Amino acid sequence: MATATATIQGVNWIRLRKKVLSRTTCRGIVSLVGFVVLWEICVRLNVPIIGNVPAPSSVLDALGKQLVSPAYWLSWRDSMIRILTGFVAAQIVGIPIGLMLGVNRMARDTIYPIFEIMRPIPPLAWVPASVIFWPTPELSMIFVTFLGAFFTVVLNIVGGAKSIDIRYIRAAHSLGSTRRDIFWRIMLPATMPSIVVGMTVGMGVTWAVVVAAEMIASQSGLGYLTWRSYVAGEYPVIIIGMLSIGVAGYLSSAGIRVLAGRLTPWLKVR
Amino acid sequence: MNASASGMSPRGSISIREVTKIYDPDGAKVLAVDNCSMEIEAGEFCVLVGPSGCGKTTLLNAIAGFHGITTGEIWLDGELLCSGARTPSPGADRIVVFQNGALFPWFTVLENVTFGPVVQGGMSKAEAHDRARTMLGQMGLMGIENNYPSEISSGMRRRVEIARAMMNDPRVLLLDEPFRAMDALTKTVVHQFLLDVYDKSRKTVFFITHDLEEAIFLGSKVYIMTTRPARIKKVLDVDIPRPRDFRALSSATYLRLKQECIEAVHEEALKAFKAGEREMA
Ligand SMILES: Nc1ncnc2c1ncn2[C@@H]1O[C@H](COP(=O)(O)OP(=O)(O)OP(=O)(O)O)[C@@H](O)[C@H]1O
Ligand SMILES: [Mg+2]
Repeated sequence: MATATATIQGVNWIRLRKKVLSRTTCRGIVSLVGFVVLWEICVRLNVPIIGNVPAPSSVLDALGKQLVSPAYWLSWRDSMIRILTGFVAAQIVGIPIGLMLGVNRMARDTIYPIFEIMRPIPPLAWVPASVIFWPTPELSMIFVTFLGAFFTVVLNIVGGAKSIDIRYIRAAHSLGSTRRDIFWRIMLPATMPSIVVGMTVGMGVTWAVVVAAEMIASQSGLGYLTWRSYVAGEYPVIIIGMLSIGVAGYLSSAGIRVLAGRLTPWLKVR
Repeated sequence: MNASASGMSPRGSISIREVTKIYDPDGAKVLAVDNCSMEIEAGEFCVLVGPSGCGKTTLLNAIAGFHGITTGEIWLDGELLCSGARTPSPGADRIVVFQNGALFPWFTVLENVTFGPVVQGGMSKAEAHDRARTMLGQMGLMGIENNYPSEISSGMRRRVEIARAMMNDPRVLLLDEPFRAMDALTKTVVHQFLLDVYDKSRKTVFFITHDLEEAIFLGSKVYIMTTRPARIKKVLDVDIPRPRDFRALSSATYLRLKQECIEAVHEEALKAFKAGEREMA
């Protein structure tokens, strides 16, 4: 077994070096550069439709200004706060509810129908109602973000908890577990992979929701930045807003992946 | 090893008295076990063979305490485990090794093996870990304590699961086709492993299998079951001396018993096949 761990470490290093210099990476870079160059050329030649898009050079120009502007970073901060608050709240509320619904038949029978009705409503359809219900627009936006992740989380966990293999529960009973042990040592880790899937999908939904909500009901954030730039006619900044949202989404997903590795270490190895 | 060998009282005798089990009594009424009786002595290596779906697992689950029986009684060392009126509960004195294995994937080998003592609270974590390491060492399973089950081979997993059971010093080991779907080579390894564990501990073993050769090679007594509903058709005393190893497989006794076994099972298999045809028609 010592050799197994050695190879795991060995592979990681070699793989890392290979990944950086690999053919795949080179192709990726070439294609990206090609894309940007092609885009620039199309704009310069005034090709229909594409010609209306700001050229990479002007986007780069605007980016320089944005990167040193505090307002730009405030947009990042505001969107991130909304995402994190909504997302974390969805986990805190959603995980226990999901586990309870998954484990307790009666709870499932009584509460699940409500979920069935609420789930198909797109989170954005909640925007007007939540603006009315919540005292500040900020809270209403966080609420909508929360909803985006909440249903995903709960439904995933219910599915995971329902499909726990009876053998594990029986084995745990045989070995002398109390109900508490069964919950903490069997149910929770057994549903952890579903919790992680819920988080991953939920994070994606959250960004989609927050950007749209900011366009409708906010005076700050990356979504608002993008929309305001459109209204103000600062077209290069629209592109910067879009790219920023992409980067932010990517970073959040990467964060979730790291967290997932911590939460389900037994799935990582293989 | 400890309490059992010190001879306070023989531990692990199972008495199955006229047990009947009907699944879904209000609906489909599947008669799985019909008036089945067995007396298993403490320290006996008892093997059950029988056609698929005849009710072997049903019987084992009742002993394990996973579900009740419709009528009859099951006793363990003079204590009533379950009867028609009494729903059983699982306990660490009867540990099951399942058909597809049930090591917890989210725990390491060491955490799996110490699971019983830790939840039962009889031992501190450090003490349990020490004992588990010693036991894994004695069983030739060292160096994998910190691996997850998915990282070790299937033969290894089976042995760890048996070690997990033995950590609880159970009265009975219940094994439900534990080595099914293993390749022949791995099987010889796990067979020898189980024989060693048995020789050292002399626990009562209740072992279910489809594999006649395995049954005779491992068992002290082989119970051949009828087609569903399960009843005992025939009992073979396997008088091959222990400790056994692969050489037993070519002994005259082994070959004679195998022949006997094949005939009895063949008869039942044929009956099952005809019954199946009748149901189809
Ligand atoms: N929960 C259940 N409800 C209804 N019928 C069941 C249930 N469990 C098992 N049965 C039926 O009872 C019979 C005996 O099942 P059992 O699992 O005990 O057989 P088995 O001898 O272990 O079979 P195998 O060798 O395939 O494992 C089968 O016909 C099966 O379909
Ligand atoms: Mg079975």
